[in-house]
Amino acid sequence: MPVFTRTTKNLIIKIDEFFDNIDLGLLVFREAIKAYLQKDMESFQRHLHKVDSLESNADKLQRSIENEMITHSILPQHRAEVSTLIDELDEIIDALKSSLNEFNIEMPDIPESLNNNFISLAETSASAAEELIPAARAYFKAPYTVREKLLKVYYFESETDKISFSTKKIIFQEMKDLDLAQKAQLRYIIHHVENISDLAQKAADLLSGMAIKIVM
Amino acid sequence: MILFFLTSGLFLGWSLGANDASNIFGSAVGSKMITFRKAAIIASIFVILGAVIQGAGASGTLGKLGAVNAIGGSFTVALAAALTVYMMTKFALPVSTTQAIVGAIIGWNFFTGNTTDSKTLTQIVGTWISGPILGAVFAILLYIALKKVKKSTTIHLIRFESYIKTGLILVGAFGAYSLGANNIANVMGVFLPAFNLQDLNLGIIILSSNQQLFLLGGLAIAIGIITYSKRVMETVGGSIMQLSSEGALVVVLAQSLVLFIFSSTSLSSLFVKIGLPPIPMVPVSSSQVIVGCVLGIGLYKGARNINFKILGGIAMGWVATPVASGLLAFFSLFFIKNIFGIDVGSKTGLEVITTAQVSNSITSDADVSGIIKYILLGLLIFGSIGISYYLLLERKKKAGLQKSEEKFWMNMK
Repeated sequence: MPVFTRTTKNLIIKIDEFFDNIDLGLLVFREAIKAYLQKDMESFQRHLHKVDSLESNADKLQRSIENEMITHSILPQHRAEVSTLIDELDEIIDALKSSLNEFNIEMPDIPESLNNNFISLAETSASAAEELIPAARAYFKAPYTVREKLLKVYYFESETDKISFSTKKIIFQEMKDLDLAQKAQLRYIIHHVENISDLAQKAADLLSGMAIKIVM
Repeated sequence: MILFFLTSGLFLGWSLGANDASNIFGSAVGSKMITFRKAAIIASIFVILGAVIQGAGASGTLGKLGAVNAIGGSFTVALAAALTVYMMTKFALPVSTTQAIVGAIIGWNFFTGNTTDSKTLTQIVGTWISGPILGAVFAILLYIALKKVKKSTTIHLIRFESYIKTGLILVGAFGAYSLGANNIANVMGVFLPAFNLQDLNLGIIILSSNQQLFLLGGLAIAIGIITYSKRVMETVGGSIMQLSSEGALVVVLAQSLVLFIFSSTSLSSLFVKIGLPPIPMVPVSSSQVIVGCVLGIGLYKGARNINFKILGGIAMGWVATPVASGLLAFFSLFFIKNIFGIDVGSKTGLEVITTAQVSNSITSDADVSGIIKYILLGLLIFGSIGISYYLLLERKKKAGLQKSEEKFWMNMK
């Protein structure tokens, strides 16, 4: 009988571990951006490797969670949505990795005057995703509280948009000494960092609907 | 020949299993909380236990409605009811076996000129109304209680669903037991006055004549569940209203409680002891009770999700079943009596039939008892082997999946 097997316990642990991976990935991402802007490449590489290993572990956990839910008929009515949610969260850690990889490959030359803008952008964008994790955890334990937790995600996402907009405006309208190729590259990098909060918002929309359904 | 007459009862048992087991596990299987195979095995085992242990309670009431006093009559009445249920099941309509047998008995009463005991009929028809209402009340109360528990605790959703799943299995087993105890009267009730078998010693327990018939009927129900109930289970699951997993648990528990109440002689005695009127021991329609339970939850939630069109279809089935079964029984009795020349029973007057009155049609044969013993043993052995094989397959499947998962990650490395 399901209650007497370890499957349930193991699955709960795996889901928690998956969330921990995303949470940790966001922390490391922030540190990596700061290290890049401070031109501390050794530290940046170390953080990049950490995000890489967290992403790979998240993939493994995602597959294992989905397999266990199917093989043991766990959450039959919510399985599809939970799988989609985990998939959306996995996309966030994928975006962290790909964003850092862009820094690593392209090595964009970010003017020092924009350091604060970039740090603030990375902080806010990561915060949007970070606020999603407690909401996702709450879905499993206290679904009534999910929607209030999601408010912060929407707030940070809109803040990210504002910072991104103002930074791009500075680059294209005030920094006359930068050539267009460099401007385009910076815009591209900004878009990558901003994408994290967009993905968080997408997952928040899904989670919001899931929470209503489960509370009904 | 005597055993041949039992086949219509077994057919009715099979129809009941095919149709009414969906009321117990339909919500759980429909909502994919439990696999059909697991549900079928649990339901089969507990239906048999309920029928043998507690089947006597409701059987007497059908005898009062019309004591079919010839084996040919019992055969025809059960056949008419079975054919009606079979046809309804064929169209995936959750019909009531109780209504089918009641209709068929009334058809027999009309044919033989017996008067239908209006008091018993009122009692039975009364449960067709009180059963669903009681089911709805139980369902609402249980649903509110479960929702409150869920809201006040912070149990992980997966753990909660796991408890619900275990609950569905346990409550489903209780429901199947209650179904066997209550509805075996529909299957074998008409044969009781016509059969008097020798006691059967199975080593651990001794089965009386009635219990042997109940066991046979229970096995027929179990075969009906295993072979034909899948489609109806999947239809019932989400037809009237989409049920959540906790809704499914509440519906099965509420229905099981109603069935149990109307078949427990000890509970009825307890009522009398504390000064309350006794509970009538009546075979209740599990199909009607389940509809009442689902409706109860639907009404509590604001009646938005209820599919009234399907509900109307089910209600039509309720009216059509006893009428169709009664007419079929009447005309079948005419053919059996006039074409095959088989005695289908006679007028017994208003009084309830006694054993002495039906002594001419009583069947007591040592050979029949022997044959039944071997049939039962054979079926029990076959069933045990089947269950063991299923468990073995399940284990093999899980091991295979685990192996493939390990292989996948090995390749990834």
